[in-house]
Amino acid sequence: MNDVTEKLARFRQPERFTRASRGANIGSKTGLLFAILAVTLYGSFASPVFFSTGNFLNVLTSMSIVGIVVVGMTFVLVAGGLADLSVPATIACGAILSLGLQPEIGPIPAFAAAIALASCIGLLNGVLVGFAGVNPIIATLGVGTIALGVVQAAVGGVIVYGTNPASAEFVKGRLFDIPVIVLLFVVIAIVGHFVLSRTFWGRWTLATGGNYRAAQASAVPVRAVKAGAFVISGLVAGISGGLLGLTLQSARPLVGSGYEFNAITAVVVGGVSIMGGFGSIPRAIAGLVFVQLLTNVMVLQGVRTPVQGLALGLMIVCAVGLDSALRKRGGA
Amino acid sequence: MTAANLALDMRGITKIFPGVRALSDVNFSVRFGTVHAIVGENGAGKSTLMKVLSGSHAPTSGAIWVDGTEVKMRRPADAQALGIRMVHQELNLVPDLTVAENVYLGRMPGKWTLLHKRKMIERAAAVLDELGTGIDPNERLGNLSISQQQLVEIAKAYAAEPRIIVLDEPTSSLSDHETGALFRILRKMRDDGIAIIYISHRLKEVLQIADEVTVLRDGAMIASRPIAGITGPEMIRLMVGRSVDTVFPKHAAKIGPSMLRVDGISDGANFRNVSFDVHAGEILGLTGLVGAGRTEVARAIFGLSQIVEGRISIKGQALSITSPAAAVRAGIGYVPEDRKGDGIIPAMSIRENISLPILRHLSRFGRIRGGEDRKLAMHYVEKLSISPPDGERRINLLSGGNQQKTVIAKWLAAKPLVLILDEPTRGVDVGAKAEIHNIIGELVAGGMAVVIISSELPEVMGVCDRVVVMRDGQAIAPIPRAQLDEEYLMSLATGEAVA
Repeated sequence: MNDVTEKLARFRQPERFTRASRGANIGSKTGLLFAILAVTLYGSFASPVFFSTGNFLNVLTSMSIVGIVVVGMTFVLVAGGLADLSVPATIACGAILSLGLQPEIGPIPAFAAAIALASCIGLLNGVLVGFAGVNPIIATLGVGTIALGVVQAAVGGVIVYGTNPASAEFVKGRLFDIPVIVLLFVVIAIVGHFVLSRTFWGRWTLATGGNYRAAQASAVPVRAVKAGAFVISGLVAGISGGLLGLTLQSARPLVGSGYEFNAITAVVVGGVSIMGGFGSIPRAIAGLVFVQLLTNVMVLQGVRTPVQGLALGLMIVCAVGLDSALRKRGGA
Repeated sequence: MTAANLALDMRGITKIFPGVRALSDVNFSVRFGTVHAIVGENGAGKSTLMKVLSGSHAPTSGAIWVDGTEVKMRRPADAQALGIRMVHQELNLVPDLTVAENVYLGRMPGKWTLLHKRKMIERAAAVLDELGTGIDPNERLGNLSISQQQLVEIAKAYAAEPRIIVLDEPTSSLSDHETGALFRILRKMRDDGIAIIYISHRLKEVLQIADEVTVLRDGAMIASRPIAGITGPEMIRLMVGRSVDTVFPKHAAKIGPSMLRVDGISDGANFRNVSFDVHAGEILGLTGLVGAGRTEVARAIFGLSQIVEGRISIKGQALSITSPAAAVRAGIGYVPEDRKGDGIIPAMSIRENISLPILRHLSRFGRIRGGEDRKLAMHYVEKLSISPPDGERRINLLSGGNQQKTVIAKWLAAKPLVLILDEPTRGVDVGAKAEIHNIIGELVAGGMAVVIISSELPEVMGVCDRVVVMRDGQAIAPIPRAQLDEEYLMSLATGEAVA
């Protein structure tokens, strides 16, 4: 046995890994905050409108609808479920049902029914992905398309309008000067954060995404955990869709399109690993804030839409690239 | 080919990995037109030697001569250019291509035109015919049985017109009849003047097919002889050849009542009719060659796979264990063989890894009670002296031995009645190995029943009270400690009688 080599190997390895991971940790934790700060600073100098209460409230409100979806999407990514592409359909179901059922059963039961159906869509996704082992992209795309088709057929493929102005007033209203939608988003985000970081279910979700087989061998009910992530995603997408419908007071089948992309962008830019096992709600929301502020600045600056898309797309690619690079250095 | 030259002459091959001397000063030579077998225990250095030969590993020192010329190989392609071909245990074939396409995979004759394709099929047919396989070159590979695929893999090597062919455990998936067919092919290739290196655990086959045999042990060449001058028992003696050393101290523990009992369990594929029991305070060894079905038995007991026959009972009570969660409830813990794949959640801390199986008990209304998992983790970090003693350290930053101790800690925290450890000391250094053995000794002293799966006979002999040997999915009744004998165990594992 070569003593020197052995000693060197023993000393060097852990140190190198620790150092890399510490760097990666600090970088990934503070990098985004600096980015948010930079965008805010730039926006304040570049546009007189940017740093105003009105603009911030606008950004916050538009952020809240997608932010609610982000909470669910974080669970899906962390559990190793790649992404939930049925979000647009679930949002549409939520919006259409919460408005369409108003005349029959009243606004609150309609909203509840919308969320229940959305959760069922999530459950179907979850069963397909978690228990049947279907690829999540295909499963959620398929389920989303089916759900949208069914809802469209049910309402006759037309736009559904709201019939209960009181509920619209409530959703668009303010509580302590803060828009109700924003408050709801904050509540959902806090609950989501609590579940993911403080409960056994959240720990199971992280373990399942981190190493499926090892989690299974540690008596974690991995199939149910994976399915659960999609149920959570469906549930919150339903809430988001219901709120969107009430805000707009109209819902067409394509009302939710683009939300899945925005949510995934936010989660990934926030540093949640697309490969699962790592991430938190605050991170995802930091990603969301950054993307929303950047979009806002671009809009205020009159950047053309295609360029905006280009910038967001680039950001996703960079974030995912950085994630796998950091994984390689931090992990062995 | 010059008859006077040796096909292969490896001289003084030494290979050092960080901290491990895998090969030391190995001399190995093969003549053209012979079958040369390499035998040795798991970890004796057979695969490392072949990886050196195939260009996957550069030797630390030593020289390789092929057909009378000294060669330097930096990558597998170099070895292939020299006419060295490997037939691996795991097949390297593409199921969706035809047999002919697989035979010429990576070296299609000419381009992908119809004409060349026809030529390729003709040539493949000729090769398959010459070897007497009776396989249709146009068949989709995936439609063939495993043994036929194995023959295609050999045909692929043969079609490359090699000078040296290495076969690594080629009969592990073959029946006796198919083995006979393989041997005809090997003799045919040998008579063509090809040098064949044959690696196998099955000594009976080695005696049948080989012209010469080389025995490796602990990375060193022990003997190289003509097959006529050696017998099966002699080979076993040479392979084992060491006394059980004192690295494995035996802790005497009081043997209590039977805790785990399995009666005639089968999973319908990997093992059948396996029965044994293990008592409180007892260490039961489960040994045998790799692939004998030991790990599959453990996984079935732990609910990671399902049994189709038989009964598992804990403390005399029959249970149906359909999931790891059920196994944990029944009081079974399992430290898996594949630590990276099944044992650790790499992105999580020591604390989070340890508390995972019993997280629900640490929670109230779903919430993990503040500091409970931290307390638990610190307790076991201290008890098993996991280094560094920092529960918040991410587990993949630890050394292999400390990762293994953490995985063991995870199961101790679940307080099982029966703990199954699958190759618990594989890939950990000598110091950690002794520590793990000490921990196991303390566990049984505390009344736990322990099953250790190990390929390492000295370990099995050193720590176990009784030993079950598995071969080809079947278990041989437990052998009490007093009758343990390394050569005897080896002969049971290989199916080769020792006089």
